This record gives sequence, structure tokens and C-alpha cells, in this order.
Amino acid sequence: MRIDERLVAFFHRPLMSIIAATDACGKPAAGRGIGFHLMEDREGMDVIFSGWQWPGLVAAIAERGKLAVTFVSPADYVSFQIKGSASLRPTEARDVAEADRFIAAAMTELEGLGVPRGVIMPWLCPQEPRVARLRISEIYVQTPGPLAGMLAGAAAG
Amino acid sequence: MTWRLSDLAPCFEGVIPSIIATAAADGMPNVSYLSHVVRVDDDHVALSNQFFAKTAANVRANPQVTLILVDGVTGAQFLLDIRFVRSVDAGPLFDRIALQLKASSAQVGMAEVMRLKSADIFRVCAIERVPSPCETPTSAPTPAPDLCALANVLAAMDRQPGAEEIIETLLQAVRSVLGYDHALVLDHDQARGCLTTTGSLGYAPSGLGSEIALGDGLIGAAAISRQTIKVSDMSRVRRLGEAIRPEGPGAENVTRTVAFPHLPAAMSQIAVPMIARGAVVGVLFVESLRRLAFREEDEAALSILAGQAAAALRASEMEEAEAEPGAPLGRPAPVSMADVRVVHHCYDDSVFVDGVYIVKGVAGALLRLMVDWQLTEGRREFTNRELRLAAGSRMPDFKDNLETRLLLLRRRLEEKQAPLRLERIARGRLRLDVAGTMTLETGGDDRTA
Repeated sequence: MRIDERLVAFFHRPLMSIIAATDACGKPAAGRGIGFHLMEDREGMDVIFSGWQWPGLVAAIAERGKLAVTFVSPADYVSFQIKGSASLRPTEARDVAEADRFIAAAMTELEGLGVPRGVIMPWLCPQEPRVARLRISEIYVQTPGPLAGMLAGAAAG
Repeated sequence: MTWRLSDLAPCFEGVIPSIIATAAADGMPNVSYLSHVVRVDDDHVALSNQFFAKTAANVRANPQVTLILVDGVTGAQFLLDIRFVRSVDAGPLFDRIALQLKASSAQVGMAEVMRLKSADIFRVCAIERVPSPCETPTSAPTPAPDLCALANVLAAMDRQPGAEEIIETLLQAVRSVLGYDHALVLDHDQARGCLTTTGSLGYAPSGLGSEIALGDGLIGAAAISRQTIKVSDMSRVRRLGEAIRPEGPGAENVTRTVAFPHLPAAMSQIAVPMIARGAVVGVLFVESLRRLAFREEDEAALSILAGQAAAALRASEMEEAEAEPGAPLGRPAPVSMADVRVVHHCYDDSVFVDGVYIVKGVAGALLRLMVDWQLTEGRREFTNRELRLAAGSRMPDFKDNLETRLLLLRRRLEEKQAPLRLERIARGRLRLDVAGTMTLETGGDDRTA
């Protein structure tokens, strides 16, 4: 599965993201993302999250290697969920920079929507950033409404 | 620290979306936002599941679910390990969740989109606080309403002589016992299927006489469902009606509609049905500038106050109906030679005095009746009993709230500084004073006054 042009445009908006992985016992772990990089072939993406805040995600990705990430545009609730196989890779300086950008953009967007800064801060934690490399196998519309759950994206080339 | 669901009350206000993570049988996870999580008891939560078929399918294949709840006051996050128990698509619990969902989604124009199909019940196995990069205290427990003060108000309400004093006592208690500065009391008009504002605290203009249709918005929904409904964060609310709101002091003379009172910066709203012996007498509506203003304890206190006021209004109505007339009937004594022109429109019983819209419906019909009696019989004192008999024969549905209609009429006459005033001179008896020489006309049905 590949991220198409429409999704690329979506990824340029200020976004929030939530993440789930499944551990060896089949129990889902959950957390929030703090950034991402789209791969050049658009068939994969790196997903950044705080290993300090979400240790369950680190363990579950390592155990089962399956990941789901939902990105939402807070201004209009437009959302997409991306799923696939994943593995952890070492964190690089560019990941830290991307986390700073993502957090700043999300903070500005949410504050503009009336959410107090003090309420937002616990959700966007930059401590101990970890990176999961996701090979995309499924993309779904997740915007609330009748299209929720429909496939999105394009078939991989 | 061991957390209980009852410690997480601000997480259940629907202010910040929750997050649900599930896993399919093959281990592929799924993650989505949830609009509503309802605390069923200290061991169970119910989740609204109106869209996401994948979440529902996963839950049935693998009952292990992880939930992230967010404290709407502090932003603190909690990770819940929960297991699916059962699904409900009918019954009191389903109705409670559906009503909460409808109330909040109607405010953002998504009532149809967000219609609830079923709700899933989960047992909570573990609760863990998510570490935060900044200090996020759990919402400090705020002191519960003062029960002694509440008891004093209830006793005082029982001693009040009539509807006006009961409603005033209720509104003052909202301020003095609970600390809220903006509240309305709306009277249920069964015949017209609406609620009419008869008491107002903290609004300018007061909005007395403004109406809400049954089922409309928070107030109408509270009346029709007979349940308390609240919104805890209005920052995302689109006030669709704002653009078409009639503006300016002359607007109501044209529309015969009093603008509903408006607190533009309100962040929290609550509508509490006033129920006496199973009948919805009215609705108590309170607004606050604070997010998440209405805690469970406030809801409980408001329900107690609303119930007591409803019972007192009903009892007062019965006492007024039974009061014996007997006062000498006097002739009107104009205090001024000015002309006072009263126009009554039959189709909606609206009444205008010197071209100014006063009131419509039952209250309008009562005013016309008293004006007519004064002009034809020379009387200016009337009893509730004769008004009830005369108006009741014309409007059979009207029987239980004469007093609140007379109160509305009295206050509207005062508020519009009309040359007619209605005075309550004894239990079950009132007097219509006219500052001038009065004429009564029947208006045309042009609906524009």
C-alpha cells in the first residue's frame, strides 16, 4: 500500500497521532505519536513516540512487530489510519528535530482551537524519542461519519 | 497509588476524546478516538461505538482492550486495561449513553452523524497513570456543595407564598449555594409543546418570555428525556442560531418572539428537568464561564433544588386554585388620562400594549380576559379561580401552571414598562392597575403586528 497525493497533502497539515501495537499475549498497547517521516517510496513511514512515556509500545513493537497509527487534523477531525509491520530503529538527530516541529505545530493548532496549553503538554512528550519503521499494508479513512473504515491510499507499485 | 474509576471523574466529561486500542485475532492492532466513555460503576465502563466496525469486530475476536482516558481539566492521561463483557442496544444504560451523545453532538450540528447504534460494556482490570513531561496534578477534589446551606434553601422554598418567590429562591440558591451566576427557570407549556422562560438570573436582557421547543437543544432535550444533560466544553460548539437571532429592542414587536438569553463566553451548560410527581413542570438551566464547571456533586445538588422547586410550584398552584375569592370588587380608577391601547391577536393570543409586544399564549389570553372584564364589568380585581375557569374552558390542556403564567405576565409588563401592572394582592387574588384610559382591540391575523 502506498500513500497517494491526497494523503501527502494531508500530512502537511498540523496533526495529532495515536499509536497501537500488540504484544505477544495479544494485548494491545497504546500511546501518542510526536512525529513522522514519510519514506521516499511512500510505502513506508517512520513513526516517532516517547519511549519514556509509552514503554508498553516499545515492548509490543519488539515482540510482535505490528503497528497501527491514526493521524487526525484537529481542526476538522479528518483522520486516516495506517497499519503494517514495524520494527524499532535507532533514533537519529533528524528524528529529534522532527519531534520538535510536530509538537510545536500541534501545540499551536490545539491552542488555536481553545485547548489550554497546560492541558496539551502532557500529550506531547519529547522525552526519549523512539522510532518505529512501518511498512504500510493498509490505509483507512478514519474521519467520523459514513466513510469511516473505507480504504484509502493507492496500491503499492 | 491505586486508581479507581471514581477518581477519574473529569475523564468522563467528553471534553477530550479518549483513545481505544484493539487487536485482531492475527495481532494487527487498531487505534481510534472515542467520543464518549461512560462510567457505569467502579468496575465497568461503557463505550459508544457508533462508527468503527473494525473496533467492534476486534473486540469480539479478542476482548483485551486498552483505553487512554484524559482528564479534561489537567490533561493528565490514564491507561486502562479493560475486557469486553457485552453489548447493549436498548435499555436504561443505552438510553443514558445515547442521550449524552445526542446532547453534545447536537451542539456541533452532528446529531444525525453521531447517532448511537450500540454501546459496549467493559470490565476495568487495571488503571495506570501515564507519566507526564510536566507536572499534571489530578484534578484537585473540590469541596462538595454545602449540605447545610442546601437544606436551609429547601426549607425556605417550602415557606414561599407563591410561584414568584419559589422561582426567585431557586435562582438565588443556584448562586449562593453552588456559586453560579447565570441561570434560567423555564415553565413547561404542554399545550404549545414548548418551555417558556419565567425566571432569569444574571442575564441582560433577562429573556423572560423567551421560548424553546420541546426536544430542542440541551433544555428541550432535558425536558423530553426527563434527564439532566450537560455540555462541559463549549469551545468547539458552533452556535448555529446566532446569525439569525433577532436583534435590537424592536425585533420582538415584529417577531412576537423574545430572544433567548445568551452568555457568549459560556464554556459549560447544564439543563436539569424539574419533575413533580412524575410530571415535568419545567427545566432549570445553568451556565458557567468555566470549562467542566458542573461536577457530579453539583448535578446532584441542582437536581435536588429543581425537584423541590417543582414540588413547591405544584403545591402552590393547588393552594392558589383552592383560595376563596371574597374581596370587594372595585371600579378602575385611572391615575392618568393617557390612552392605553391594548391589542389582542386571536391566532396566537399575543398582546401588544401601545404597540409594544408583551406576551403570547396562555399568558396573553389571561391578560386579554382581565382587560375585557375590567372594561365590560368595571372590575380590576380577579381571582385565580375565575381565571382558571374562564381560560380553562377555552384551553383544556391548561390547568396546572396558571400561577407561573401570571408570574410571566406580571414580569413582562414590568420589564416592558407597560402602563398596565398586575399586582398579587392576596393568595389567589390579583389586581390589574392601568395608568390611563384603556381600550381593547382585536388585531388582524397579519402576523406582523
